[in-house]
Amino acid sequence: MTALSSPYAHNNQSVRKVMLQVQLAALPALLAHIYLFGYGIVIQWMLAVTTAIVVEYVMLTLRGRPVLPFMTDMSALITVTGLVFCIPPEAPWWIVVSGSAFALIFGKHLYGGLGYNPFNPAMLGYAFLLISFPVPMTQWTMPGEVVGYTLDFMHSAQVIFMGHFDGNSLDMITGATPLNELRTGLSQGVMVPDTLRAHDSQLPWGLNSWAWINIAFILGGLYMILNGTISWQYPLGFLGALSAMALLFHAIDPAVYPPLSFVLLSGGTMLAAFFIITDPVTASTTPRGKLIYAAGIGVLVYVIRSWGAFPDGIAFAILLMNIAVPLIDQYTQPRVFGHSR
Amino acid sequence: MGLLQRLATLLPLANHWLHRFHGGVSPQYNKSLSASQPLRTTLMPSQLVLPLQQPVGLPAEPIVQVGERVKKNQLLAQAGKDPRKALIVPIHAPTSGTIEAIMPMTLPHPSGLEDLCIVLKPDGLDEAIDNALQVDGSAPQTPQALKDILLQAGIIGMGGAGFPTYAKIPSEAGKIHTLLVNGAECEPFITCDDLLMQTHADEIVRGALITAHALGAKRILCGIETNKPAAINAMRHAAKQLQHDNLKVEIKEVATVYPMGAQKQLTFELTGVEMPSKAHAVDLGMLMMNVATYAAIYRAVTLGEPLTSRIVTVSGLGLEKPFNMPVMIGTPFVELAEAAKPKVALDYPLVMGGPMMGFQVQNNQVPVLKTTNCILANPPEPAEMQMPCIRCGACMDACPVNLLPQQMYWHAQAHEFDKVEKLNVFDCIECGCCSYVCPSHIPLVQYYRHAKSEIKTIKAEQQATELAKQRHEFKLARIEREKEEREARLKAKKEAVKQEVAAASSAATDAAKPAKSAAAAAAAARAAAARKAKSAATQAESPAIPPARLKAIEAAKAASARAAKQTAEKSPEKTQQAGAEDTTLDAKAAARKAAQLAAQKRAQAKVSGNIEISDNKESANTPDSKPDPKAAAKAAAMKAAAQRREKTQQAGSSQTAEASTSPKTEAIDLTGSSEATPASEKEAARKAAMAAAREAAKARAAAKKQPVSEALSAAEPGASSSEVAPDPAEAARLKREKAMQAAKARAAQKRQAADNSNAASDASSQESSS
Ligand code: SF4
Ligand code: SF4
Repeated sequence: MTALSSPYAHNNQSVRKVMLQVQLAALPALLAHIYLFGYGIVIQWMLAVTTAIVVEYVMLTLRGRPVLPFMTDMSALITVTGLVFCIPPEAPWWIVVSGSAFALIFGKHLYGGLGYNPFNPAMLGYAFLLISFPVPMTQWTMPGEVVGYTLDFMHSAQVIFMGHFDGNSLDMITGATPLNELRTGLSQGVMVPDTLRAHDSQLPWGLNSWAWINIAFILGGLYMILNGTISWQYPLGFLGALSAMALLFHAIDPAVYPPLSFVLLSGGTMLAAFFIITDPVTASTTPRGKLIYAAGIGVLVYVIRSWGAFPDGIAFAILLMNIAVPLIDQYTQPRVFGHSR
Repeated sequence: MGLLQRLATLLPLANHWLHRFHGGVSPQYNKSLSASQPLRTTLMPSQLVLPLQQPVGLPAEPIVQVGERVKKNQLLAQAGKDPRKALIVPIHAPTSGTIEAIMPMTLPHPSGLEDLCIVLKPDGLDEAIDNALQVDGSAPQTPQALKDILLQAGIIGMGGAGFPTYAKIPSEAGKIHTLLVNGAECEPFITCDDLLMQTHADEIVRGALITAHALGAKRILCGIETNKPAAINAMRHAAKQLQHDNLKVEIKEVATVYPMGAQKQLTFELTGVEMPSKAHAVDLGMLMMNVATYAAIYRAVTLGEPLTSRIVTVSGLGLEKPFNMPVMIGTPFVELAEAAKPKVALDYPLVMGGPMMGFQVQNNQVPVLKTTNCILANPPEPAEMQMPCIRCGACMDACPVNLLPQQMYWHAQAHEFDKVEKLNVFDCIECGCCSYVCPSHIPLVQYYRHAKSEIKTIKAEQQATELAKQRHEFKLARIEREKEEREARLKAKKEAVKQEVAAASSAATDAAKPAKSAAAAAAAARAAAARKAKSAATQAESPAIPPARLKAIEAAKAASARAAKQTAEKSPEKTQQAGAEDTTLDAKAAARKAAQLAAQKRAQAKVSGNIEISDNKESANTPDSKPDPKAAAKAAAMKAAAQRREKTQQAGSSQTAEASTSPKTEAIDLTGSSEATPASEKEAARKAAMAAAREAAKARAAAKKQPVSEALSAAEPGASSSEVAPDPAEAARLKREKAMQAAKARAAQKRQAADNSNAASDASSQESSS
């Protein structure tokens, strides 16, 4: 099969290659995660990929679509990778399995597969888990710097599949994320600076493990911007809006609102900025639309973090902005060459 | 600039900062494949195929015969019509040789179109007519003078579109202030302009100066992509050498990005003027032409050479030795590709043009056109499977027109063509950037081409419907009007018929009484008939027979009455085809023409005795009148009315009535077929009767009154005998016989009145029995 009409040339890009670029860019964060939190994420990732393969195969067969080309488009891989980073590393195995399955089935296939889903599948799966299993979803494995050690592969597997290791309960190694702690602290009358001071890190530059994961995401994201895999408008709009909100409210009341650095380097901020909101299928496509879409998410993330019921707002912020995409696209069409506005 | 360029090689993103227009891509250029080779000498092909039809405009008409020997530069075909309107350019012989054929051949066209071509077999002598255009070599002073030469030279835009150059140039001096020279050549693989600029920079510069001088342009800007340093140097050098005080060619380097060579993009790049969507550059005082066109202009103006050859790049990954070569227009693709030593057999389609905007030819034998800049032999590669659009926006980032390719695709796929149009699909220049970058390998441009043609079809249909509606309303009004007219006419006709009958009977009675005056009247009528017949060129023979007059009257009457009846029956149920209406408008003319033809044919047929066949052919040849009996009837009726005034035209006019009413009931002759029978019968009978009567009258002059009543009584039954349907040919024969008999009888004036009446009754009885 060759092209029927011109152009007969192609830049050799393909959906698979784009997806693999994204996967490659996620590598630094994955390595950082392993180093800081142990091998839990590897087991989670393998579980998720296995689930994805099974779900993809079954769903494509059920839908009567060609299995091989669509399974090898690697879009499912990106979806579950995004999801895995949102799940506590030692969360029980059924969390990641049900989350991945939900993300792929309800987030993608039921809408008609790749390219037709209005909602970001990874965030749909994440939101599903947050709502269905709030407790295990907030029990984060503490990083090595806090507990003093990280679990090795076998111990991680024990925890994930059996809920304990060597007779020790899970509670020994899990706790709340800084974002969560901030929230709980505020509800108990502890001011933000105090909470933050209580958790000074021994890692370089005083940055905690979560911050380093975020930095790893930035590295991968910059790589993707430079090689053209993602548009710069997404991170710029998102981080810009989030920073503006953080600066504004921190200036108003530093006791209640955390500083910019904390906002940017906690939770899934950078994951969202470079890997989640850049999912082209569910994002706005026009240049200005991308900025507006990303900025909208930034504002919503801040709003949910500060005043919402959940510690991190990325899932709901992204899903909300997904709804607005068609509207944004319609009103941000670029001026065509030779046309006045 | 240098720093940015170096950055751009590292960072694809930075490429966008090098040029002004949005988007664009940087494909694998592969230009060195052919550009590294020197220009090869022209190949003498085994045959040259010269299409009469150019990419734009109507076909030219050949002025040479098959078998004729022609010299190089000899005019082979030229405009039959006003070339200015039809955009026709003449065609000249690229070399000397013999015209082998003028026949349809496959053209280099995406659809594999076939069209009439002149096939020239070169004799290898390459004998040329020098200064074929007979120019004096001086620069034209006015746009019109330049245009005239360009038209004669057959120069069309050589960059790709192929619009006739003379038609592109405005006639008013001073309208163009900036002349643009397109040396960007942004398509991968193609290097023919590069080589032309390297080797013939002075011709290009001179061509531009000549054009600017004739048009009164103040400024000449030439844009060349940075990836052609040798061409830039050569052009700079030539421009410097040839510049004079008030006019020089400014050479500007432009970024190497596809599609820099697109007219609007390069204009924007060179002048900063963003051409409005629907506007033409000429309206903005700018005119852009390709470097090759300027060189051709120079050669036409100074050397009187028509455009018969051009430099063509023969390149591609499937060729061992790609090259550039000045090629005669009409050289078959395959001969050039073979000359470049294909790596594998050329069993795959060659591409005319570059890989971004070119198209695969349906047949590798197709000839080089004036617009053929490249012949590309890229062996087919397995294409990636088309995936769903992932809305990545890569297409949008690449679009030089800043369209939304992804959304246009979305709607085109859903057949929502109105939305596609709203997204400005007609601004799409089909550059292919979007398809080039699409990671889902969606053939986006194909969708836009399809959408464009669909939208055009829909528009045309809408227009046709609107027109049909208007016509229908108009037609209803006209039918109403015609009905009134027809009624009036019918009434008049009835009167006329009554008068005729009265006249006929009175003539008979007259004849019975004063024989002398009757004979005189008949003679006068005959004389008049003969006179009129002479004036009617189409009726060389028939009017010579005096009774034709009456016969025709009758025929016309019958025909018009019949036609009127038919019309009355048919018009209510008439369909509303647009086509039928066209016919209506033309039907009168067609009927008249048909009548003339019919009359001619009939005249011939009378000689050959082959009436039926010829008339069959005749009515088969006038399908125009077929769908509209009403028009025919109208024509017939009008003719019938006219007959009353111009009696000798009857034969022809009644034929009209027949020819145009008849198609429904198969071809018939005036004198034959079931429908025509009554008329022809009557005619024949009447003719006989009249002849008889006349003879009788004459005879009576000698033999007293006695036989007259017999003659009349013999004639009467014949005149009214209309029941039998004779074979048309037979009827014609009879008619002829009768006429002869009548003539004989006339010659034998002295014979007995009884004999005469016998002849008459014989004729009529013979007729009724046949
Ligand atoms: S082909 Fe049309 S839509 Fe595609 S990039 Fe070119 S101009 Fe834009
Ligand atoms: S480049 Fe292809 S996949 Fe990407 S938005 Fe355009 S059409 Fe869709």
